[in-house]
Amino acid sequence: MDLKALDDSRVQYLGKKGELTDLLKGLGKLSKEERPKMGEAINEAKVQIQKLIESRKEELEEEILNQRLLDEKIDVTLPSRNSEKGSLHPITQTLNHIQDIFTKAGFEIELGPEIEDDFHNFSALNIPEHHPARAMHDTFYFDSNTVLRTHTSPVQIRTLERQKPPVRVIVPGKVYRCDSDVTHTPMFHQVEGLIVDKEASFSQLKGLLIDFLRAYFEKEDLKVRFRPSYFPFTEPSAEADIECVICGGEGCRVCKKSGWLEVLGCGVVHPNVLKAVDIDSEEYSGLAFGMGVERLAMLRYSVNDLRLFFENDVRFLNQF
Amino acid sequence: MNISTRWLREWVSPDVGDIELSEKLTMAGLEVDQIAPVAPPFEGLVVGHVVSCGKHPNADKLSLCEVDIGTGELQQIICGAPNVKKDLKVAVATVGSVLPNKLKIKRAKLRGVESNGMLCSESEMGISDSHEGIIELDPKAKIGDNVRSVLDLDDQIIELDITPNRGDCFSVLGVAREVCVNYDLSLPELTFKAAQKGKKSFKSSVSNPKECPKYLTRVIEGVDNTASTPDWMAKKLQRASQQLHSPIVDITNYVLLELGQPMHAFDLSKINGNINVRSAKKNEELELLNGQNVNLSEDTLVIADEKSAIAIAGVIGGMGSSTLESSTEILLEAAFFEPVAISGIARSYGLHTEASLRFERGVDFNMAHQAMERATELVLEICGGTASEINETVDEKSLPKLEPIEISIDKISKVLGFDLDSSWVESKFKFLDFDFKKNQDDSWTIIPPSFRFDIRIPADIIEELARLYGYDKIPVQRLSINANISKASQAKITSNDLSNALVHRGYQEVITYSFISNEMHDLVAPDSKKILLQNPISDDMAIMRSSLWPGLIDSAKSNLRRGHHNLRFFELGLCFSGIEVEGQIQKIAGIISGNRHGAQWAGQDREVDFFDVKSDVEALLNLSKEVFTFEVADHTALQMGQTAKIMKGGNEVGWIGAMSPKLQKKLSMPKAFMFELTQSEIEQGETPSYEAFSSFQASQRDIAIVVSKEISSDELIHSIRSLKQNDLIEVNLFDVYEGEHIEQGSKSVALNLTYQSKEVTLTDEQLAEKVSKIVGHLETKFSAKLR
Repeated sequence: MDLKALDDSRVQYLGKKGELTDLLKGLGKLSKEERPKMGEAINEAKVQIQKLIESRKEELEEEILNQRLLDEKIDVTLPSRNSEKGSLHPITQTLNHIQDIFTKAGFEIELGPEIEDDFHNFSALNIPEHHPARAMHDTFYFDSNTVLRTHTSPVQIRTLERQKPPVRVIVPGKVYRCDSDVTHTPMFHQVEGLIVDKEASFSQLKGLLIDFLRAYFEKEDLKVRFRPSYFPFTEPSAEADIECVICGGEGCRVCKKSGWLEVLGCGVVHPNVLKAVDIDSEEYSGLAFGMGVERLAMLRYSVNDLRLFFENDVRFLNQF
Repeated sequence: MNISTRWLREWVSPDVGDIELSEKLTMAGLEVDQIAPVAPPFEGLVVGHVVSCGKHPNADKLSLCEVDIGTGELQQIICGAPNVKKDLKVAVATVGSVLPNKLKIKRAKLRGVESNGMLCSESEMGISDSHEGIIELDPKAKIGDNVRSVLDLDDQIIELDITPNRGDCFSVLGVAREVCVNYDLSLPELTFKAAQKGKKSFKSSVSNPKECPKYLTRVIEGVDNTASTPDWMAKKLQRASQQLHSPIVDITNYVLLELGQPMHAFDLSKINGNINVRSAKKNEELELLNGQNVNLSEDTLVIADEKSAIAIAGVIGGMGSSTLESSTEILLEAAFFEPVAISGIARSYGLHTEASLRFERGVDFNMAHQAMERATELVLEICGGTASEINETVDEKSLPKLEPIEISIDKISKVLGFDLDSSWVESKFKFLDFDFKKNQDDSWTIIPPSFRFDIRIPADIIEELARLYGYDKIPVQRLSINANISKASQAKITSNDLSNALVHRGYQEVITYSFISNEMHDLVAPDSKKILLQNPISDDMAIMRSSLWPGLIDSAKSNLRRGHHNLRFFELGLCFSGIEVEGQIQKIAGIISGNRHGAQWAGQDREVDFFDVKSDVEALLNLSKEVFTFEVADHTALQMGQTAKIMKGGNEVGWIGAMSPKLQKKLSMPKAFMFELTQSEIEQGETPSYEAFSSFQASQRDIAIVVSKEISSDELIHSIRSLKQNDLIEVNLFDVYEGEHIEQGSKSVALNLTYQSKEVTLTDEQLAEKVSKIVGHLETKFSAKLR
């Protein structure tokens, strides 16, 4: 039986010309005594029938709904439409991560040109002409006075030319060295940091960078050590090593069995650098640091070949 | 620099192991790259004496030897080396010994004859790659002695990475001084003194005393340069990665490594007259010791005899005046050249020598005399001969000035952030050979030693104290809060905003090199300025990009080659129209190619088209509230008819279009669409400002007009907007139709106009009037016909 048949039955018994209606119409022919009795019986029957029809109707509707649900069933595990996946380059993600950590500590982000003049890239940073440190830089030249910046440090100078202390900035960006092999690409990224303030000491620099490295690698007890080193634009200068994140300090191929990985260079800004931008090094001191972004990205994402970053293979990009 | 710990410990030997010592050096700023034993561990190799050596009865290439290893019993050993012979002293791996390659020596029969051990080559002992024959030991070696001690194999090589400021550490003496400072030890004073019996004086003069303040020479006659360099010296030189030459040259190299003073030996018989130190003359030529012929430039300081230049000062000697085996009369030279005068000279001739390395960084100007005595002593000992007096030309006022440096304990504490004890500071000054005097006000006046070219200002002294205290022991502090509140504008659209908008639309970010090939430049942006690198890595990376498209196209190409067809890439980066700061412009660009979606179950796929990339660009433009327009235009890299210039007011913001078929063909690329925007033009957002919205009903009216195909839809819409009609709040183009019932060269455009007043509900009559005004405008301006 379906809803139509049910409705037909309703009409047959309860409709205007239905059987029960007819019976009700025929009541007049009955005797006075019989009439109420009969009327009651008919009404009783009418209510009963109505009830039955209602409940049957509900049953039928339920059945129909169930059928519809079955008919409309889909495979919800099928892929959605338009599910192509975009991604930020791992270097950008690393830069964002580094920037987030420092901006939360009150650092502002500064940018600078990639084609630099000799003054900003070298002289102002206490690297005069013929300084042996220039030989370490493998510089790309446009003319004798114009280079592709070999580090982000020139932005230290540009910032201090523009802004009086206190200064607290980081400088992310591309840098260039004329060198290309398995472990060098002619273009790579650095993040530079600079603080110039009345009270800025080497022990604060240590504290800041230990905090940064632990935040970056998300490891609260990451071991960090500082070693004396040399940069023309800082003194004292240091290199910071972290315990090898690959072997946990046991010694492996990545850390050359030393258990340590060199991750950044830093130091107290050299008085000659402050002098180049007319800042009194008796009143103010500066702290500076610089790190290689590719190196930090490789360690954090277990990338074992530097060149992958610039091949832009979708099989690589898809993983970030 | 490589240095053997054995040699170092002859000078100073703190009571710690080699590994600990090398860690100490690293933490003091002399970074140890590696410490490696000269030989891998092995035991059981003894000195043997080949008593007899005959042919193996069953094999042509094998020898049958009887070897005395001091056990009283001769050992029969079979050897395949070509150099084995009677009376040779050899290294015998006895039965039971294990070689570094894990080979265990057993009693064995070779071709039917018993062999009790093995005669070893250097490679079998793991000390070199040489496996041409067995090692021939010193004939004086004692039979039965341990080969490790005979060859002094329990030595380690420390590979030091010395920073440019520490020129003083390029010698055993220099490293020994560092060891002393770190372990509070002292070195004995240098007291080299050679016998001086000759009477031959030699004249030298210096024309440029500022560049060569000190020049010493000494004649030694009657030397025998055919003598062989003694083993002890040869071993030290080899372990410092020095090649062996004749004894005289070896001796000068030895003194250089030992004391850090570069020296040179001339063959006196080949020098014409006196020596003069002067600048090179115009067009002067010199054949160098390495065989290279150079044209000297006039800023080069040379050593010259009366005829010509015979050496480049502080860099390399000349071939003509060099010592040979046959030399018997030599002239030794030890000088001090000013670092600035030597800097860059070697590099300008493509050279990098042990001498230039040291002179560029600074050589102790008080060392020349000691070094001369030391070298003489060694020459007399090894080659014999008679030494004459030292001829010395010194210009005291040109020697480096050791000016006093003032430093206070307060300054030290301020820079380092903690307090150092005055007595500790003074004890370190002492070990650093600083000549110091304490002043009344807790400060010191210091004169640095002549070998420290890196100690000139107070900061240099602070660094010394910090590294000797130990960077690791320096306490850790937090930065005090003195940060500026960021002034960044909320409305500014950042690089991240732009990148994320594209990432959410399925783009992958790429990073490509900023330098491109000449070919790509000419194909993509031939009209922009070519900015050439003077020294590019290769021709493919010779020109600074003026557009991001070359990099994006390359990325697309390399991925297509690997079989990835549906690509969406973008990049942000500087593009270059000049070398000045203003010529370096940040751009954002993208490329798409292939299908709109990957193969999908839910419906038909299609190739991407212009309007896909246009909606991506609009997603970027819509981040700002500014009005941008797309103008029909032409671009070399883009397809005519599918190219638009993006404008903001009268300013060009960027380009969008299909890659031109010509470019596609040149680059074997499929159909692709590209865009590029100048970031500074699209990054200005607007801080939102609320405006009350109307509570009256909005009404829509549609009109359809026929206009010429040449009229762009943007033109129509902007023209309507430019009327600034009251209550017209939106104009939307919802249909374009060409074909049947429309005249050739025309198109039908359907526009939807939305009206809403803030004060009243507009009546039909009011609306009709407004619409008819617009139709009238379109009729006049574009000869539009209402359909």
